[in-house]
Amino acid sequence: MLSMKNISKVYQTEKVQTHALRDFNLEVKEGEFIAVTGPSGSGKTTFLNIAGMLEPFSSGEFMLDDVNVGTLSDNERADLRNQKIGFIFQGFNLIPDLNLYENIEVPLRYRGIKAAERKLRIEECLEKVGLASRAKHLPQQLSGGQQQRVAIARALAGKPRFLLADEPTGNLDSLMARQVMELLENINTEGSTIIMVTHDQELARRAPRNIQVVDGQLADFTLYQNKSSDSVSARVEQSIAEV
Amino acid sequence: MLEIKPIFNSLLRSKAGAVMLLIQIAITTAIVSNASFIANDRIEFLTQETGYPEDEIFSFTTMTFDKELDLSQKFEETETMLRNVPGVKNAALFNAVPLSGSGSGGGLRLTPATEGGQDVRTSYFLSDENALDTLGISLIEGRNFRADEVIISESRDVFPEVVVVTKALGLELFPEGNALGQTVFFGVSPMKIIGITEPMKSAWLKDSRPDNVSIMPFVGASMFQKIIVRTEPEQRSAIMRQVEDLMIQDHNKRVIIGVQGMDDDKREYNSSDILMLRMLITLIVVLVLITGLGIFGLTVFNINKRTKQIGTRRALGARKSDIVRYFLIENAIICVFGIALGAVAAILMGQMLLESYSMPALNSIYVAVTAIFIFIASLLSVVMPATKAANISPSIATRSI
Repeated sequence: MLSMKNISKVYQTEKVQTHALRDFNLEVKEGEFIAVTGPSGSGKTTFLNIAGMLEPFSSGEFMLDDVNVGTLSDNERADLRNQKIGFIFQGFNLIPDLNLYENIEVPLRYRGIKAAERKLRIEECLEKVGLASRAKHLPQQLSGGQQQRVAIARALAGKPRFLLADEPTGNLDSLMARQVMELLENINTEGSTIIMVTHDQELARRAPRNIQVVDGQLADFTLYQNKSSDSVSARVEQSIAEV
Repeated sequence: MLEIKPIFNSLLRSKAGAVMLLIQIAITTAIVSNASFIANDRIEFLTQETGYPEDEIFSFTTMTFDKELDLSQKFEETETMLRNVPGVKNAALFNAVPLSGSGSGGGLRLTPATEGGQDVRTSYFLSDENALDTLGISLIEGRNFRADEVIISESRDVFPEVVVVTKALGLELFPEGNALGQTVFFGVSPMKIIGITEPMKSAWLKDSRPDNVSIMPFVGASMFQKIIVRTEPEQRSAIMRQVEDLMIQDHNKRVIIGVQGMDDDKREYNSSDILMLRMLITLIVVLVLITGLGIFGLTVFNINKRTKQIGTRRALGARKSDIVRYFLIENAIICVFGIALGAVAAILMGQMLLESYSMPALNSIYVAVTAIFIFIASLLSVVMPATKAANISPSIATRSI
């Protein structure tokens, strides 16, 4: 469903060229739960931004459900983001002046879904994250963990093809982090594809597939749990050795 | 897809900035409605038709200090001399200059003053049979004075027996419209109305009856004598420059003062209105600018405060146009409430001005036009910052502060 081939991202300033990603290749299949780790500055966030179409890439090919993302206009990318991707941010990114209901409603409104159906979906999603009774509350009236659950509900409400989570537990204490992780695992079990960027190794290990971004390139621990020795992991070990 | 409800709710939750702006819009609407109404009223006053070809007419005062001179005789010659200057259409002695703010007024009545009864106010000019032509005024009924009807006297013990009046004055005296040929009384002196003229204004545009004007055939040449000259319009300034020399050549024991075009006379008389008009226009422009800048500033502030939110909205699928629309709708909501409040304030203010300063009653069209104008101006003030906001990269959403 998601395929990146030789994706490169170069940030150009007057004097310096920074290669944030170079020849990045990744295939994601339906229903996967992938944890992306890597040291800071390695390109994790750049990868996430490109995967989520939040920023353009410099070269390569990125297919999302057979759509060639590189050829899309800004509006088409916005629409595709809205339909296919649910975002979960480290800082929750809830809109402070909107209550929980209205926050979850935001992507649904952009999609032009009718009010009655919006209501059904929002209630269903709030139920799923266990905050149904607090629909009228404002984000600042909730704890961090609760806010992140609202953000997850918002990401789920549009029934996206996959969820992109950027350090979803980064701002949470360990108990809340575990709750959020469990929620994500449940969602994955129900069939959603999840890509999660994290620096928390322990959290990453709970995901069935781990990939590591090092120096803008991919190191794939796909078979972390399967102990296979195909060419991919051989390449990974090689690249780690290089590092 | 309009997001009025969530934007409105969100505004209710963080009111401070919005309320300030709303009040500013309300005040602007109230003041600009009234100011533009008054300004327009003044413009109408200043540009009203006076009936005179103002750019062809000028006047001056002759001070004669030759006590031996037969003034009436000399001024007859002077008039003839002036009429013979190339470019001059006509010239005549007058007791006062129309539109100048200085003149003579009195009452005309249907019966002699001794018998009581109402009189009708008129501004009157004393001149000769050249008066109408010198002022560029045509008759619509009746005839002009004959030379033998003009009283030439340096005292006022003889009074003319005929008079020419404007149509407005004739109608006020004789509402049936049969003024021509009737006799009216100036004090106790009877005068027959022999001519009705097209509209012309009195010496005072702000008179209670500026359209009631009469011309009486009486020339009382005096030491201080006003003379009005009508010229070809393109030659007026040249003749105005040489008139002093011509007059002195004609007789050297006189001083010429106050050579001034009729349009300048009018401008001087109206100078306080012109000043007020300028101040009102300045006020309107400054207020609209300040409000526009206020809206611009608040939008810029809101955008800077909400950079992350805008990025998040973009990440969640907002198109650039959705972001622009968001700020336009937000502004429109504030504006609608501000204008509604301002319209009420404008009407109250109009009533206050009406009562306290006897201004004309505010026409509600001015409130409506001002409201539309301010609405458009406020939307225009938002467009630029909103477009800037729409260009915020969605990737800002994943940036940790």
